[in-house]
Amino acid sequence: MRGMMMKMTRFSLIACLMLMLAPVMASAAGGVAVKHTDITFDKETLRAGLQVFTDVCMGCHSAKYVTYRNLMAYPEIGISREEADELRGDKALMAGLITELSPEDAAESYGKVPPDLSLIARARRGGANYTYSILTGYEADPDGKIEDGNYNVYYPGGRIAMPDPLAWMGHDAEETADLEEQARSVSSFLAFIGDPHQLERKRLGRWVMGFLVLLTFVLWMLKKEVWKDVKKH
Amino acid sequence: MIEKMMNTRLFHWVDERTDLGAIIKSQLTEYPVPKNLNYMWNFGSLALLVLVLQILTGIFLVMYYKPDASLTYGGYTVAFDSVERIMRDINFGWLIRYMHAVGASAFFVVVYMHIGRGLYYGSYKGPRELLWIIGVVILLIMQGAAFFGYLLPWGQMSFWGATVITNLFGALPVLGEYLQQVLRGGFAVGDPTLNRFFSLHYLFPLLLAAIVGGHIHALHVVHSNNPEGIDIDHEKDTIPFHPYYTVKDAFGVGVFLLGYCYFVFFQPEAWGYFIEVDNFVPANNLQTPAHIAPVWYLTPWYTILRTFEDKLMGVVAMGASLAILFVLPFLDRSKVRSARYRPVFRQMVILFFISVVVLGYCGHSAPTETLAMVGTIATCVYFGFFLLLPFVHKFEKTKPLPGGE
Repeated sequence: MRGMMMKMTRFSLIACLMLMLAPVMASAAGGVAVKHTDITFDKETLRAGLQVFTDVCMGCHSAKYVTYRNLMAYPEIGISREEADELRGDKALMAGLITELSPEDAAESYGKVPPDLSLIARARRGGANYTYSILTGYEADPDGKIEDGNYNVYYPGGRIAMPDPLAWMGHDAEETADLEEQARSVSSFLAFIGDPHQLERKRLGRWVMGFLVLLTFVLWMLKKEVWKDVKKH
Repeated sequence: MIEKMMNTRLFHWVDERTDLGAIIKSQLTEYPVPKNLNYMWNFGSLALLVLVLQILTGIFLVMYYKPDASLTYGGYTVAFDSVERIMRDINFGWLIRYMHAVGASAFFVVVYMHIGRGLYYGSYKGPRELLWIIGVVILLIMQGAAFFGYLLPWGQMSFWGATVITNLFGALPVLGEYLQQVLRGGFAVGDPTLNRFFSLHYLFPLLLAAIVGGHIHALHVVHSNNPEGIDIDHEKDTIPFHPYYTVKDAFGVGVFLLGYCYFVFFQPEAWGYFIEVDNFVPANNLQTPAHIAPVWYLTPWYTILRTFEDKLMGVVAMGASLAILFVLPFLDRSKVRSARYRPVFRQMVILFFISVVVLGYCGHSAPTETLAMVGTIATCVYFGFFLLLPFVHKFEKTKPLPGGE
């Protein structure tokens, strides 16, 4: 029995190792590994991210699943009614964050319709680190083939339709920290709206796990008590 | 507590009309279970628990889900929008949805453990052949239900997974193309496919509930096997199901829920294993994802399919890999059940378990030449297990069984 258990452990270790290697192998095949940044969900960051989103991203992109009402209701963002009114203009409170740029005009100007960003952090490998890398990944094409502003190291294939939104290319050293913070805060915002109940979920989860630990312990004691008279053989 | 309840007037009234007291006695308080079962025997009750969880959460999801592939703003669809509405705007919708999504994987975890236990301890052997066969039917219906369910969010992986799998039916001779069109409700996966998959995703769990009833009934006729794999003396070696195994199963439920709730609350996507990254992209029939793979619990069979260059051969092999489970009780001719007393069989069955894990890994990863070779070897081991089984008893020296028989 013990020999079998040891063997099983060894095999499951091998299986685990293989599973752990899977993402490593995937990223090796997919090209450049993304940059890592500190994604945080504090109010200051999320509001700064919202600002970048409405000022910059919403020029072309939407986040249709996030309504102005949501921006007030999510405690992590919690803008006031006045702020919501200012943001929405004549749009309904229950309307999503939808860009003024029509899909047809976008397709004509950029060659494709910019994707909705509600779920972008969940829909790309690397998540918010990926969006951060894209925003700070514009460079001159080393081969000189792709125009400046359409070459991005982190975009598969290098050629990206989105022209450098934060004007990352050609920024001077003093601006670096500010642009990186903009990219970080908007990436945090995107990670948040991808799953807006995630903090509530984890908060509730700690109580659930605590309760289950207690319950399982009681059930284990009960099992021992009920079984104490059962002889093995 | 049960005795107290059974002495009430209400109980007597019901008992006179249904014989409920006799059922409780024969199925619970006097139902004999071997007292030497180990914790591997907990997975059956856990599978029942997850089935109930899936049905309950599913009922609530259907109250808000809309099976409709009409396009909405931003390249999304009514179906995708309704799932996001559940996740964002319905009170505790995120909890119900994640319980259901994690539950699908949890269901397969416990059922694969349950099947593995049955294999290792020879629970499929006489007199439990039919019990095993009903179990295989349950497995197939589960896999079908999971496959239908994965289409419903109408993400990229939903769409392309369904396209690849329904394509397989087209490879079958004569009826293939017709079958494929019936499944899809047209020439390509589209709105009619979504609607019929939704219908089937609701039908299959009903079938499951009924067949699981049959599985439990069959179990209660032939009784549980045990780790020693020997026939046991009902007087001496058994204890009643209640309270001994109700409390042991309850403890198992606690341990299971700890793991399940960890994923539901802290890691619902399980790094892309439970909900794939590409499924957050709305379905787009003009853009094939770089790498299409089913969810982890179907990947072993997907690898067997991919092992063969010829599509028909692949489909036949995949079908055979599942169908062969039906005849397993008749392939194994040894008189000894448990792998504890069968040294050769034990090595074989462990190798078989490894081959399934390796097949799963290969099916999940993007295909490379090395993986294709590993997958082929694992496929050979998978089938080799069943092909060798009828001959093992001829040369295997089994260890003496306990009880001096």
